[in-house]
Amino acid sequence: MKRRAFILSAAAAACSRGPRLNVYNWSDYVAPETIPDFERETGIFVRYGTYESVQEMLAKVMSGNSGWDVVFPSADYIQPMREMGLLAPLRPEWLPHLDALDAPFRHPPWDPELRWSVPYMWGVTGIAYQTSLDRPPCSWGDLWNPRLAGKITMLDDPPEVLGACLKMLGYSLNSSDPAQLRRAQQEAIAQKKLLRAYLNAEVRDQLVAGDVAAAQAWAITAAQAIEAAPDKLAFAFPSEGFARFADTVAVLRESRRQQAAHRFIDYLLRPEVSAKIATATQTATANGAARALLPAAMRDNPVLYPSGGTLARGEWFQPQSAASQRLRDRLWTEIKSA
Amino acid sequence: MYALGAYAFLHVPLLILAIFSFNASRFTVWQGFSLHWYAALAQDRELIESAVNSLIIALAATALAAIIGTLAGYALWKRGSVWISGSLYLSLVTPEIITGVSLLAFFQWIFRYLHLRLGMHTVILAHAGFSLAYVVVVILARMRTFDPALEEAALDLGATEFAAFRRVTIPFLAPAIAAAAMLAFTVSIDDYVITSLVAGVDSQTLPMTIYALARRGVNPMLNAVSTIIVVLLGIVVLLSERLRKA
Amino acid sequence: MNRLRARLLAPAAALAFLTVVAPLAIICLYSFMSRGAYGGVGQPFTSENYTRLLDPLYGAILWRSFWVAAVSTLICLALGFPLALFIARSGEKKNLYLSLVILPFWTSFLIRTYAWMFLLRDTGLINTALLSAGIIREPLPMLYNNGAVILGLVYGFLPFMVLPLYAILERLDPSLMEAAADLGARPRETLFRVILPLCAPGIRAGAILVFVPCLGTYLTSDLLGGSKTILIGNLVQNQFTSARDWPFGAAASLALMAAATLLLFAARRSGEELL
Repeated sequence: MKRRAFILSAAAAACSRGPRLNVYNWSDYVAPETIPDFERETGIFVRYGTYESVQEMLAKVMSGNSGWDVVFPSADYIQPMREMGLLAPLRPEWLPHLDALDAPFRHPPWDPELRWSVPYMWGVTGIAYQTSLDRPPCSWGDLWNPRLAGKITMLDDPPEVLGACLKMLGYSLNSSDPAQLRRAQQEAIAQKKLLRAYLNAEVRDQLVAGDVAAAQAWAITAAQAIEAAPDKLAFAFPSEGFARFADTVAVLRESRRQQAAHRFIDYLLRPEVSAKIATATQTATANGAARALLPAAMRDNPVLYPSGGTLARGEWFQPQSAASQRLRDRLWTEIKSA
Repeated sequence: MYALGAYAFLHVPLLILAIFSFNASRFTVWQGFSLHWYAALAQDRELIESAVNSLIIALAATALAAIIGTLAGYALWKRGSVWISGSLYLSLVTPEIITGVSLLAFFQWIFRYLHLRLGMHTVILAHAGFSLAYVVVVILARMRTFDPALEEAALDLGATEFAAFRRVTIPFLAPAIAAAAMLAFTVSIDDYVITSLVAGVDSQTLPMTIYALARRGVNPMLNAVSTIIVVLLGIVVLLSERLRKA
Repeated sequence: MNRLRARLLAPAAALAFLTVVAPLAIICLYSFMSRGAYGGVGQPFTSENYTRLLDPLYGAILWRSFWVAAVSTLICLALGFPLALFIARSGEKKNLYLSLVILPFWTSFLIRTYAWMFLLRDTGLINTALLSAGIIREPLPMLYNNGAVILGLVYGFLPFMVLPLYAILERLDPSLMEAAADLGARPRETLFRVILPLCAPGIRAGAILVFVPCLGTYLTSDLLGGSKTILIGNLVQNQFTSARDWPFGAAASLALMAAATLLLFAARRSGEELL
């Protein structure tokens, strides 16, 4: 019954002539009630779609007639999208809740004045491991330990793997210097025979089951695994430094619903809305006021919200030049073929 | 005996999925029987909407591809056409990701002039397009075993060309049409790569939703979804079998 | 005769033009363009994407992909033929048996693959069973190697072999086999000298339906192979995603399609065409 009511209400809403907003977001990146609550409050009907990679989103909106109004680009895509003329400038006067953002996110390096994007969620990459190991890994170098052969995984993501190798060698993870990148590649190839696999989020279940001893992992994945097996698993922020990343909200220039789009973004900025999203998705929010509203266990989770001192070792991903991107792809192909 | 082994190979992974859809734990460690995941499923608006979308798309695309493909297979059997065979052949050797990207590029290019947007219609068109070659291949393989004398006999007896096609050839082709339609339905309902690239506002399909869930690791809700699909479609197959016999 | 044929072909021609020819023409065009600063395509026109492909690195990737696809296709044939024969000969029940072959494929590919991961893992069902039975002491590393990838491909594409084979076998006149037996042929001889040659079109159809998607696969090698090797499908997919080099991706996929076409043409005997 309930199911039919859902479909009927959705169909009725689709046929109604009321105001609309088309929102294109990463999958699993809002709370179940986020969209229905917004629709009820504003009378704006939201058509919501999801994507799995920022490239998928970019491929769709690149033509400038995709039909979407609001998108959620990763921070390192703001500059490219802006230069391609895809983003609309934001109007701060329509975003009264901007000051709910955590201080560092009011002037982020990728968009210091928040002219094009509003920070949404963020995370880091580190090492998830079994606490039963006699020497818990604390640096990227520990993932080259032959005693763990066959029990290590790395992420299946070129910037992450090359980034870890570069960090281990003491370089910037955004390096575009061919000599540094070559050395990083040699390390990755040396490590490959110790690896069980290159895994992204799938590693979560294998950590819990005990198949994997140590894994390069996103903090979100690690936090979920640790929640499932608190006494068996732990997370380390590598001593050489590590990657930080963020996702943002932006309005497309093609959108003819700028005001509704801003209304939606401001709704997402409200601390109580943002807190619900952070709770449902178990992600670190960029919204400081929202974080204060979270349950204590989540607010003070050291995996999701490490201390300022730890975070100082982190480095943001930055967009790569075409030449550097091409070299990196070539090196990655060689690593995978080795 | 051999067949038993083959069916076991095909169905055991599925059976395990089904068993774990009743697991109380979120992880693949058995922690007791529970209907929790089925309850969660019934509440999930996105999953249900995308399942409905998937069914509509697969049925429409299968019907289109089966009809168009059967006619074309028959015509090609009469006399080949380099152009048609060539382009169908191309669609077979095109990697999925290229099919998806090329369709996306093409749609975006013509839609600029037509003031259209990506949506369910583009997904149906794409699915019918890539299923077409499968249908033609199966129909042609069957037509090769067809004795033209049968049709000629019908013509000699005064049937029109079309009547001969309808009364003689189509019944002969029936099992192949059924097999081809099943193949088309299967590739359509399961496609993720191409669909995700040509889908627009309002055309999220079940594989897209499933992929989104699975990206975060094993989720028993997925097992519940596939169990429901298999059981439902299995019942449909059994029923149609009964009806045919009756 | 010709008018009817043209009318029957017209819809297929229109559909094929809209979904195959025109989109591929755009991809051809892209393959001669340059990567835009942040992905996408731009001027100038160049053949550089093709010269890049001549690198032995990419040749090795192509070769590896052919090898994996060929092995998977052969195994599919070896498994699928007896199964198709069984179904074709089971009289009343054949539709039911045929449906049973397809049924698992109405669940998502991804879920099916996860099921295999669950079976093959170190702490998976097979290893746990073998360990507790005392047959092995250390878990067998069954997941994340080429064997697992081929297993996944065979599992994924078996129906594509069985369906066309069934379509032919179902129609095969049983009296042919009786005749062969009457003439003193042993069952094995009947199989190899009578049934198999008659099935040639079905085998060819099945082989292509299996071989081609195997050649372009990338999800299976990622999920069951642990992304440790790179196949041509992965290379192409990387160009359209992480590398954001559409022109090179377009050139690589056209090369893949050309190689597949050449190979299949070479394998094709005169007079018997698939399409």
